[in-house]
Amino acid sequence: MTNLSAIFNSWPGMYLVQSFLHSLIAAFIVDTALIAWRIESPVMRQRFRLMVLVLPIVSYPLYQFLSPERGSALFRLDALFDIGRWLNLELWGVVPVGVLFLLFLAFTAVIFVVQEMLPIAHHTLTPGGSSLDTTDPEPESRVTRALESLPGGKPEIFILDDEEYIMFSSTGKKPAVYLSGRLVEALTFEELRAAVAHEIGHIDRSRRPLMVVVFLLRILMFYNPIILMEFRRIVQEEEKICDDVAAELTGNRAALASALRKFYFADAGEQQHPLPNTPRLRDRIEEYSHSILIESRITRLEEPPAPAMKGSLAFIIVLVTIFSINYYLV
Amino acid sequence: MKKTFGGLLVFATMIAVLFGMLQVLNWIPSAVQEGAFRKYPSIDDVRAHLKIDPVYTPAYYPRSVQWPPALIAAQTRPYAAVLTEFSKSDDRNETILVITQTARAHPPLALKIQLTEVRETVQYPFKGRVAVLEVGVCRREEQCSRMAWDEGDFRLSLIMRSSPVELVRIAESIVAQHPGR
Repeated sequence: MTNLSAIFNSWPGMYLVQSFLHSLIAAFIVDTALIAWRIESPVMRQRFRLMVLVLPIVSYPLYQFLSPERGSALFRLDALFDIGRWLNLELWGVVPVGVLFLLFLAFTAVIFVVQEMLPIAHHTLTPGGSSLDTTDPEPESRVTRALESLPGGKPEIFILDDEEYIMFSSTGKKPAVYLSGRLVEALTFEELRAAVAHEIGHIDRSRRPLMVVVFLLRILMFYNPIILMEFRRIVQEEEKICDDVAAELTGNRAALASALRKFYFADAGEQQHPLPNTPRLRDRIEEYSHSILIESRITRLEEPPAPAMKGSLAFIIVLVTIFSINYYLV
Repeated sequence: MKKTFGGLLVFATMIAVLFGMLQVLNWIPSAVQEGAFRKYPSIDDVRAHLKIDPVYTPAYYPRSVQWPPALIAAQTRPYAAVLTEFSKSDDRNETILVITQTARAHPPLALKIQLTEVRETVQYPFKGRVAVLEVGVCRREEQCSRMAWDEGDFRLSLIMRSSPVELVRIAESIVAQHPGR
């Protein structure tokens, strides 16, 4: 108990606790705002969600700098919510909630390492991991025609010799789109055009390295389960933004929806982890949430586009609300 | 514009709900478990409710300190601690002296008055104890002093917006009240 008190009373301990608390409340407020103002635009939604990611990183040191008395026992007494009261609670008079809280954060940190850092490390360290068995598409092929028919800058395009449905893009100085031969066969010309346009969306957006900055900030909060979820939601919004880019480039939302349906569901029987047979609960949950995301993207594309909304006033209101409420949460 | 105001109404309602939820959540721990940090009207109430014994109080107060204390707060969970704050005699809103009593080996409670710069630290022997006496400045460059020593099962800490002379006299009066502890 002595060590626990020392942890939660230390600067890093208070940062840990308050960044979690502030992100939780920020996430609640942002979700409330998105519902209240019916904000549908993925660009706006992503901008709102970034508040949940960024504000808790700076809030505790900033509040303490602005008002050093905020850390005092007296301030805690009059605070709107003092998480210390819960952390000091002893379940059945034995186990302090603070211990469970720290275990929860440690578990989140392990998930972060296993799901996000190890794959990156593995990809970076595996020799020859980046060499792919690719061929250039024929000049008159559907793939080439699909690319040429799109406006704007054209990335390189390669066909992967693979029997799975695969499509991704690489960024950097020489951006490229990769499609598997099987996928090219399965998609119609319009669907192929929409799929390539979606990847061009990713390439164009990578020129503004927002997602890299977001990921670096996310690393700082490796222990924070709220940030773990919020980062994934930001990535999901990124997919929707690229869907909109594709829809704008092709003028055909239905084609991308159809391509997505084929890509993820038409061949579900042959997918690597069909839902009912996936042995591990974690994989099943991930597969399920992934399916939900794809479904929501398809539904969105099949509906008429939402009217454009500025939302800057709502953004300021939400920012001020989060900043003001979190000040009184210690 | 209609959508903006409609949204604002829904948003404001949800924030009010959030406020209510946070207040309830803040109250629950003290309702289910005794001993959480909270305010008490007097030192006697602290003794009676929390069974903290003794609660160290000075017998001497300089003229600049207003009696009774502006704030008395205490806890027994996660460890025993008592906080007493005194206002300036000519300004009730300004805290001039803070006394904390914390079970040994536990971190002290964070105080309203903080030394922003320590200019001198000395070991100060008095009445058979050895205190750490620090002199420095608080915010706005005013002189502040802090004194801490072990007393029985507790660690006592005094911080005051004044010279160390007054602080030492207060500390000596605390020890004189509880001889042999």
